[in-house]
Amino acid sequence: MKVEATEVDGRKVYSVRAFNSGVATWLNRLPTLWIEGEVTELRRQQRWASVFFTLKDPEDGACLTAQMPRGQFDALELDLREGERVHVFGRAELYEQRGELKLKVLTIERFGLGAHLAALERLKRTLAAEGLFAAERKRPLPRFPRLIGLVTGNDAAAKKDVLTHIVQRFPPANVLVAETYVQGPRAPASIATAIGDLCKRGADVIVLARGGGSFEDLLPFSDERVVRAVAACNVPVVSAVGHEQDTPLCDLAADVRASTPTAAARLVVPDINELRETVVRSREALHRGAHRAAERHAQRLAATHDRLGRAPLLALERRRATLDTLHARLGALSPVATLERGYAIVHRGDELVRASTQVETGDEIDVRVADGTFGATVG
Amino acid sequence: MAEPTFEEAQHELEAIVTRLERGDAGVDELTKLWERGEELYRICATKLEVVQGKIEELRALEERST
Repeated sequence: MKVEATEVDGRKVYSVRAFNSGVATWLNRLPTLWIEGEVTELRRQQRWASVFFTLKDPEDGACLTAQMPRGQFDALELDLREGERVHVFGRAELYEQRGELKLKVLTIERFGLGAHLAALERLKRTLAAEGLFAAERKRPLPRFPRLIGLVTGNDAAAKKDVLTHIVQRFPPANVLVAETYVQGPRAPASIATAIGDLCKRGADVIVLARGGGSFEDLLPFSDERVVRAVAACNVPVVSAVGHEQDTPLCDLAADVRASTPTAAARLVVPDINELRETVVRSREALHRGAHRAAERHAQRLAATHDRLGRAPLLALERRRATLDTLHARLGALSPVATLERGYAIVHRGDELVRASTQVETGDEIDVRVADGTFGATVG
Repeated sequence: MAEPTFEEAQHELEAIVTRLERGDAGVDELTKLWERGEELYRICATKLEVVQGKIEELRALEERST
């Protein structure tokens, strides 16, 4: 259809209808494509020729109005639920009467398990590359948490499980519960917000608890927003989501993974009975230790005292021994010892005879040997 | 002179004993050193007895309270 303009004061002017029609023609040249999004605001009525819904971007909430002939929609037998993720095959079209853009839908495919898994795998690789799952990021849980933040569904059995076991193990525990959606399209944002809120309110450990469920049910716990919130949380996070065999991505980002809500309770609080026993044992050890230390001091003192008792006598003995040695050495130097070896001392009167020239034949001399003195005449 | 602590007294006592045992103390000093040693021993022994007594006392008290 040709778009006609009228000439007004040398200016080309188009009617609204003509403009819309022109835009519609342009839009029709765009290719038909697959678009991924969440189905919201699905409106279907028997008397309408078309089914309407809004296709929403799960990441940033961007919206697109979609329309599909009711007969074709019903033939697909999809039984779509609010928030379900789908692939839509269609093309852009202008609702000319109102100048509104919409997606003319040709077919819809439920976002299959395979597609989910592939998307999950991509996200996992991206987050792992950023280091969000790194072992060195894991923090130890506080031994005695002051305030435990619990993120869980409002009537979830998981909530009751965690609470019961926490209180059983450690009655003085303080728990702050943040009830959130734990499945469906609103869950990721509300879980992420709850984690941040609990941090702000002073929780020093956070437990994410959700019972088992289908793969789709647990998907919010693999949502990028939730995983990032867990990683960014400034206190340790325990992830107790699903059963042993499930590994939602939040498990990988959490500091500790608990296989069940009960296990999570065991991780975040100590067992008060064990604590009591430890305290009793410590007290006994304290008594024994104090006693032993005093004993050791007493023994050391007794040993020292023994040595002190013996030491002066020993010292005296040693002195006496030295004295005896000296005395012996002194004795060795006395002339008596020399005489005993057979030498003699010769006097002429008072004069000590040191040389043969001092005496002449016939001189009377005194000879002293070891046991006495005798007179003699020089021959 | 202020009374020495247990550790100070014990340290001095052990120094005296070592000196006596090494034998380099003068004979005139022997008696003085020995007397000082005995005095230090009494100081240490008294302190130990007091502490041991306290430990026993506290323990008895604790056991009665539980």
